[in-house]
Amino acid sequence: MKTSRIFTFRGASAVTLFATSAVSALGFIWPFLLKHKQGHPQWIFLIAVPCALLLLFINVSNHELDAKSVALLAVLSALIAALRPMGTGAVGIEPMWFILILAARVFGPSFGFLLGTLSMLLSAFITGGFGPWLAYQSFAAGWVGLGVALIPRRLIGRAELFALALYGIIAAEFFGIAMDLQFWPWALGADSQLSYVAGAPLATNFAHFFSYHFLSAMAWDIPRAIFTTTLIFLTGKPVLHTLRRAYTKAAFLNPIEFIERAKEQAVAK
Amino acid sequence: MITFSNVSLLYPHSTKTILEDLSFEIEEGEMVLVMGETGSGKSSLLRLINGLVPHHTGGILAGDISVDGISTRTVKPGALAHLVGIVGQNPLNGFVTDIVEEELAFTMESLNVAPEVMRKRVEEVLDILGLTAIRSRSIATLSGGEQQRVAIGTALVMHPKVLVLDEPTSALDPIAAEEVLSVLHRLVHDLSITVIIAEHRLERVIQFVDRIIYIHGNGETAIGPAEEILQKADLVPPIIKLARALHLNEIKTSVRDVRRQTEDIRSRDFPTVASSTHAVTPAIIVSDISHSYGAKPALHNASTTIGHGEIVAIMGRNGAGKSTLLHSIVGLHSPDSGTITVNGRNPVTLKGPQRRHAIGYVPQEPSDLLFAQSVGEECAQADNDNQLNSGSTWALLNTLVPNIGLHTHPNDLSEGQRLALVLGIVLAANPEVLVLDEPTRGLDYRAKNLFTLALKEYATQSNRPVLLATHDVELVAELADRVLFLAEGEIVADGTTLDVLLSSPAFAPQVAKIMSPKPWLTVSDVVTAMGNSE
Repeated sequence: MKTSRIFTFRGASAVTLFATSAVSALGFIWPFLLKHKQGHPQWIFLIAVPCALLLLFINVSNHELDAKSVALLAVLSALIAALRPMGTGAVGIEPMWFILILAARVFGPSFGFLLGTLSMLLSAFITGGFGPWLAYQSFAAGWVGLGVALIPRRLIGRAELFALALYGIIAAEFFGIAMDLQFWPWALGADSQLSYVAGAPLATNFAHFFSYHFLSAMAWDIPRAIFTTTLIFLTGKPVLHTLRRAYTKAAFLNPIEFIERAKEQAVAK
Repeated sequence: MITFSNVSLLYPHSTKTILEDLSFEIEEGEMVLVMGETGSGKSSLLRLINGLVPHHTGGILAGDISVDGISTRTVKPGALAHLVGIVGQNPLNGFVTDIVEEELAFTMESLNVAPEVMRKRVEEVLDILGLTAIRSRSIATLSGGEQQRVAIGTALVMHPKVLVLDEPTSALDPIAAEEVLSVLHRLVHDLSITVIIAEHRLERVIQFVDRIIYIHGNGETAIGPAEEILQKADLVPPIIKLARALHLNEIKTSVRDVRRQTEDIRSRDFPTVASSTHAVTPAIIVSDISHSYGAKPALHNASTTIGHGEIVAIMGRNGAGKSTLLHSIVGLHSPDSGTITVNGRNPVTLKGPQRRHAIGYVPQEPSDLLFAQSVGEECAQADNDNQLNSGSTWALLNTLVPNIGLHTHPNDLSEGQRLALVLGIVLAANPEVLVLDEPTRGLDYRAKNLFTLALKEYATQSNRPVLLATHDVELVAELADRVLFLAEGEIVADGTTLDVLLSSPAFAPQVAKIMSPKPWLTVSDVVTAMGNSE
């Protein structure tokens, strides 16, 4: 027998994660998939993505989310949600990504996914940043946490820190692209050089999107990437150490053994 | 109610057996004290009762533990929540909500109790614990004793048959501790709740307990009636030391009983020893300071002078202004009015190394001063800051408490070790004045003795003043030359330890209570006086 493990997506919950993520991924990239102008896909996804998120949470909370994981999740998401508005909020200076990335590194990608989604939701409660973008933001933050799985487990010390910092840049850019994709079809009216043209060839829309993204990236994603990486470099070592201590203290997967008599056991050995 | 049969416990990644072959039975409505040195396994024993160990921590558990007929092997701790209530040392760490009533309801909310039942139980618990007057207060504004009572209340709402408390009075002043213990006493006697309590400050609890489980720390344990265990134990409160010193036939645990035994000693006349008053040169001069936090006054026209080589204790209720006075002297803030000089300088103006050398300060939470990842790093940092040869602080620390691991994380140290580490770091700067805020919380008798010796040595060898705020009257009796008693931000008494402690019934140490009206505070006072008369 062992003490409970930290939350991990497995079996049914992994399937749910995959399915809901696929739905919300479609919500991001649909502008590139449509050949012809038809219906109002943005409205459909505006409803589908939050529903996917809700489904995922219901599934996760029905499965074994043990007390220790809940406690860790609560403390860390509260911390991140509180840190997020502490930057100016503008130009992508949000001091939350580094903690999310470091925590996902220590507690695992599944935990990182939940932490990302929950802390986004929570910080929306704090800042009043409610809106149609919230479910998209949550999924994107969750994927940032999940993506830490790309960093090999065996890296330690300086190599680990560099890998995490590099991941910080990728994550900041990824989040930027995702947010732009989500907003792009709604923005700029219908007829500018940068706007989404329903039913236009893929190349046109790609070109439009990337010029749009480049403009917004200058203002948001590049500062976000620099800021996140700097914070990872500055705080990485002590924060990783502290989180790992918490991980050890929480005694996940420690063996539990019940025996009849200690003395007899010793004799048997 | 609780049965331990041949229980042994071993944690994973550790080779030291915490408990070995422990068997006992605790009846319904018994109050049992668990005593032992820091780190001996008291907390593990308490957590075995509700199954947190080993279900939460992992470990090898031999033997069987059953509570009310349920074996902790078969059920998870959650399933025992209605049966065993658990209260920690620092109630603030356990509170979830802001308001007393809400906090009481929170436990039941988590356990899915029907609203009408919740409503009724909150009222019951408010009555049992006398919390009605503070039911809608914010928890943060309550005194330590009230907070601890609320914490007990949160455990009681589920009508547990067993209440487990881990050092419930360590952080409290004597009056608040009395308040909490009398509540426990009532629960045991009126409601027949079984209470298991771990505590270092034995002098506060032994008169209430029926039996004692004494964990020696080497795996051995003893269990028996209080008098029987205390007769042989190493860690004993002053009342037992006194009985041993006077060679009394029977060991009694209450002041009343020992007073009856010692009637003949008190009726004798002893030559009064003229106390040697030597002139001291002033080191810290506090003149007429007042300070307030917003509209709330904390200090009002306080004046005093502390001389070189004096050990001065500041006493008083929680919130009487002790910490504010210390903060002013240390120079953490400048008082609203009045002046303070420490060896002729204004403490607020001191900076950096100059400050470290002028004033050594150990705050209420010693870990506030610890930042590094290991004890070794902390010591190296202190060496570096004070331009000492590397290893000096480590050597100093080893004289205070040996056997601290160099690579241990400061948060993994016991309270006593952590205090010693901070004291070592502060003393490494060789400060001219030493100021400590509640230094002995969570220390056992052995650690307290070491600590007392270290402070005495510092004060006498280099003729420097020591100032400490504390609730621990036994410590004050042993250590201090002088006591300042604060109430409502004013110094209401300032005199020798003997004068101040003897005149206050609540703050008198055990020996003084027994020997009153004789002017003795400690066991050694009594022994010396009797030696002189023979």
